Amino acid sequence: MSSLELPSSAYPSPTAWGKHLSRRQVVQGGLALGASAVVLGACGSDSEDGSLNPGSASGTLTIGSNASDPDPQAGLVAVKDTFPNKDVEISINTLDHNTYQENINNILQAGEDDVLAWFAGFRNKFFAEQGLLGDISDVWEQSSGLGEGFKAASTASDGKQYFMPTNYYTWAVNYSKKLFAEKGYNEPQNIGELLDLADNMATDGITPFAFANDGQWPIMGTFDILNMRVNGYDFHIDLMGGNESWTDERVRTVFSTWESLLPYHQTGANGRTWQEGAAALETGEAGMYLLGTFAASASDALAADMDFFNFPEIDASIGASALDAPIDGFQMIANPSNASAAKELLLHMSTPAAQDAYLTKDPSVVASNSNANTGTYNDLQKKSAALAGAATGISQFLDRDTIPDFAGECGNMFAEFIEDPSKTDSLLADLEEKKVAIFADYS
Amino acid sequence: MTTKRWPRIAAHVFLILLGLLWMVPMVGMVFSSFRPYAETSIDGFFSWPDTLTWDNFTNAWDRGNMGRHFLVTAVIVVPAVIITLFFASMVAFAVSRFSWKFNIALLMLFTAGNLLPPQAIIQPLFQIYLRIPMPEIPLISESGELRGSLIGLVLINVAFQSGFCTFVLANYMKTLPKELNEAAMVDGASVWRQYWQIVMPLTRPALAALATLEFAWIYNDYFWAVALIQQGDDLPITSSLRNLGGEFFIDDNLVAAGSLIVVLPTLVIYLLLRRHFIGGLALGANKG
Repeated sequence: MSSLELPSSAYPSPTAWGKHLSRRQVVQGGLALGASAVVLGACGSDSEDGSLNPGSASGTLTIGSNASDPDPQAGLVAVKDTFPNKDVEISINTLDHNTYQENINNILQAGEDDVLAWFAGFRNKFFAEQGLLGDISDVWEQSSGLGEGFKAASTASDGKQYFMPTNYYTWAVNYSKKLFAEKGYNEPQNIGELLDLADNMATDGITPFAFANDGQWPIMGTFDILNMRVNGYDFHIDLMGGNESWTDERVRTVFSTWESLLPYHQTGANGRTWQEGAAALETGEAGMYLLGTFAASASDALAADMDFFNFPEIDASIGASALDAPIDGFQMIANPSNASAAKELLLHMSTPAAQDAYLTKDPSVVASNSNANTGTYNDLQKKSAALAGAATGISQFLDRDTIPDFAGECGNMFAEFIEDPSKTDSLLADLEEKKVAIFADYS
Repeated sequence: MTTKRWPRIAAHVFLILLGLLWMVPMVGMVFSSFRPYAETSIDGFFSWPDTLTWDNFTNAWDRGNMGRHFLVTAVIVVPAVIITLFFASMVAFAVSRFSWKFNIALLMLFTAGNLLPPQAIIQPLFQIYLRIPMPEIPLISESGELRGSLIGLVLINVAFQSGFCTFVLANYMKTLPKELNEAAMVDGASVWRQYWQIVMPLTRPALAALATLEFAWIYNDYFWAVALIQQGDDLPITSSLRNLGGEFFIDDNLVAAGSLIVVLPTLVIYLLLRRHFIGGLALGANKG
């Protein structure tokens, strides 16, 4: 990314996220649909027609939020405060991020919250197809400034929208500007230059890559990017969707590539938190760190000194235009207590006004609406937006792109792989078996 | 005599070392709770401190909304412990004082209940709770259903803790001389009076020990709470600690400070009932 100027449409191209979803394996939810209909019927008390007619709604509305960090929490309050319809009394019900994620099933069935914070793509479709979410296609019809890519990431297999994306962030190779300036390092354009850079760092006594895997999710980002660089975006999405085999030669190549890069990484990653990895970057002990832009939240000093570059191309025929950029947003439960107010709020959340208000409190992410005010973006936000805007394929991160149980198995496998890469073949064979079993359970 | 002293010295050295080893994480936690994250993340946890501050404690209290969550916890734990001990002592009294052909079966039922993993029943329980309407009472039951109400949490805690308490109390009551009851009966005391005025006062050590244990267990519960309560404000104090960590970033020093605040009530209860705790458990364990 040579220019920091934001393209006029700072969202991924239509093809990117569209393909992402159309190629998805659909998780069938016939039985679950029947069961949940009974449950939701029991607690539904909807006396409104639930249509969207901005400004006409009244009554109370609850937003279920996973924003337990102070910044996103303040951001959501700002979104609520900018909601123009003052006849609707909105309350925010916050649970901590992990508890919320682990209990989403119960939260959806409890029906206490009308509008719920959640993730775009697979994780949203999953519940939409179980009949637990409300159709918000009419909200999409009235919204503007959201690209086709975002629409595709919010659309279930029935062609209706069940999600309102509000913001996203990107995964890339983070580094310290100060260190790069001091040592005269440059952002690499291809894998050869990356390896040269890593060798130079090693010569200078710096560990090229900080590497942390406590919780077994951070290095999923490394797998994602290597798979997308070696085999391309489509293969990655097919692999996540259970349609390709983990014993395939192409997957094996990803792990050989990864193995050849491991000596450039910090050892003992499985016991290191991502924050300790960020501290290594901050102190200059490590030179680069493949992580989401949230790495900057580890400390103010790092935030001021951090920059990043897109992971360079490995295969010229594949290129380097695919990346992980998880999208966050909101969905509506199937039978909300106040559907018209819920839809009105979701429409508000899609607007530049609401997203600007959010970003003033939480500048670690980028707005989904292309008309949002980019003038206030910091350098990292500008770069993130440009990176995602230029991407031809955007994935949501491994643990959002596949069945959660299977993502957990991948996490175990990657952790074992970095401990002992000589076991790769048997680990991959095991993982393939688990994939078959888990995907069979969900179809 | 010198030959017998060495093993004792060795044992003491071993115990002192083990004690110190046990202290390391505790002392480390207290130490780091007074230090800012920016300092320990760069210098490491075993570095000499530049700054010592109470900030982590005040931040943990505010960010964890601990005032509210302590109140919720009190509303759950106090009735749950009292009701559990009350019911369990009645069952224990019946099975230990009266000979009835289902005595053993009843005691086994209660004991077997302990072995049931809570995870196995959580989904059916959630669905049952979802279908039981409740009057809306501020703080105690705001959702209009048993799900989401603190009464629901008290009930499930009572149900799950009664088994263990019945087991311990029954064993303890069996050690009390039968003649006491016989004498009371001769004097014309009713069954209730035998239970309440003869057996219960004598069971006090066991009750105190169980009260300490049950307080700690129910106080530390997080599983039932997050499964059955979806309103963030109605979760017990254990949720405050989770709230101190965000989506990605966790300030370990803040969590250490929060944990110290949260552990205080359990420590106070333990120190208050310490003598009963040890004495009571030992008494209950070796029935004659």
